[in-house]
Amino acid sequence: MESIVAEDLTKRFSGLTAVDRLSFEVEQGEIFGLLGPNGAGKTTTIRILASLIQPSEGEAYVGGLSVRDDALRVREIIGILTESPSLYERLSARENLEFFAKAYGVDEPQTRGARIRELMEFFDLWDRRGDRAGTFSKGMKQKLAIARALVHQPGILYLDEPTSGLDPKSAKDIRDLMERLSQREGQTILLSTHRLEDAERLCDRVMIINRGAAVSVASPRELRQRATGAHVVNVGLREVTETLREAAEAAEGVKDIEVKDGALSVTLASEGYTPILVRGLVEAGGSIMHVVPQEVSLEEAYLKVIGGE
Amino acid sequence: MRWSRVLLVFRKDLSEVSRNWEVMAPMILVPVILIVIIPVMVTLVPDSMSGSGNANLMDTIFPNLPEAVRDTLSPLPEGLQMTYIMLVYFFAPFFLVIPLMVSSVISSDSFAGEKERKTIEALLAAPFTDGELLMGKVLVSFAPAMGVTLLGFILYTAVVDALTVGRFGFLLLPNLTWLVMILFLAPAVSLLGIGATVIISSRVKGFREAQQLSALMVVPVLALLFGQAAGFIIMGPGTLLALTVLVLVADSALFGVGVSVFNRERILSQSH
Repeated sequence: MESIVAEDLTKRFSGLTAVDRLSFEVEQGEIFGLLGPNGAGKTTTIRILASLIQPSEGEAYVGGLSVRDDALRVREIIGILTESPSLYERLSARENLEFFAKAYGVDEPQTRGARIRELMEFFDLWDRRGDRAGTFSKGMKQKLAIARALVHQPGILYLDEPTSGLDPKSAKDIRDLMERLSQREGQTILLSTHRLEDAERLCDRVMIINRGAAVSVASPRELRQRATGAHVVNVGLREVTETLREAAEAAEGVKDIEVKDGALSVTLASEGYTPILVRGLVEAGGSIMHVVPQEVSLEEAYLKVIGGE
Repeated sequence: MRWSRVLLVFRKDLSEVSRNWEVMAPMILVPVILIVIIPVMVTLVPDSMSGSGNANLMDTIFPNLPEAVRDTLSPLPEGLQMTYIMLVYFFAPFFLVIPLMVSSVISSDSFAGEKERKTIEALLAAPFTDGELLMGKVLVSFAPAMGVTLLGFILYTAVVDALTVGRFGFLLLPNLTWLVMILFLAPAVSLLGIGATVIISSRVKGFREAQQLSALMVVPVLALLFGQAAGFIIMGPGTLLALTVLVLVADSALFGVGVSVFNRERILSQSH
């Protein structure tokens, strides 16, 4: 079941097209990444999906609700981490969460109190609950802002650069939390990020946006493969002999072979020919030490996609 | 409109405002100066009330006073007559500065300040309607403005009466003119300040800029003051009621524009 559906979503600001006919679907429980350079249209897309701004053309449905016609209900069912933490710095950490919990309809005081405590303890903020948010470090503010987005246990979560400004341990905690929310609690997460390692580790699929338009939608692995252009495997052998090289050449699906650093670098027509290659080498007496698919990193794939635009 | 949501925004903004010295300082200092220090000086230095400059002021204001007031003041020495005119008539427009100033300062913080501090996006993303947000923010500006005004009026009345009853033999305040001003004109003026600030805040990026521009709203009040000093106008109950109607018409116009500029898209597009 789709949690988010965007159909030809377009947004223009006085002549500038910030979002250009974006169409995508996000399944329930999926972590969907929005990748793109600054000004690509990621934040505008999130704002449209949060019913903060109206699309110029197209339509989007969040939890089955139209972002145009059911704006208030859409805002009720989502949690959002905005680009900046957007915290009330003169209010305490707890007062910030209290306000937003009430705003999102967590009216029962005991439930609200327990939820706030649970989140603040998870983010190591409970001991600082009475301190003004303005006295917090950048990382603590980011954690508090994430806690605010989660305070009403939304089924759909939009996170704009969630690990920005966090130390490695806190960033890992957030990534672990996102995985848990998606896998165990079935929350749908729309993640806008510059950090490709976050996208690589967390996202089921990513959409690369450039100048407002979708350049590519795929899983991080598919993106890497597409960027590589062909399926290349490195086969480490105890010893590379001419017989083994010939056996590899004779295997079905092999397009090219190179000997590199005591291993065979074999270009295959597709990933499915890997077992045939391995069987051919073993039958020719080869001792295989490892078989590693050779792929570009997501960063390289991303740069290739953006650069090709 | 869900009033529980309106009050939620109101309470949140009130907590924020009460912890901002840039807002609280003028809210306390200006009324103290206008309500306590100046009246005390005027009352305790009666000789200063009989100079030649003040004689001119007497000549312009005195003939325009209601007949009953002229009859009451005629037997009194000129210094006391001047004290009466200053405390009861001349300071009245100053008093309108209080609701205007307080409401403008708070609404500058509440509207433009929230934009400047980049807290507005999370608030706009929360499930409030535009009307609930606007009403909560108008209320947080209006209620303290009227609270300070009413408190100030009670304090001013107490100070003036305590200092003058011995010399006049009767209580100068409250009178009908002041009651009409405090209960009708002051709320309308307060709304004028808020309406203007909502519009100004939609055009500027920061709290101080909004506050400085909304301070221009004091000009019509000063015109009232000079109009009275020049003998063009005397602030009686009828005049004040007529002024209230005029200000309410201006309020409606300002709020009409204010509601149209207070929408999520416009606010977000101007906060970056």
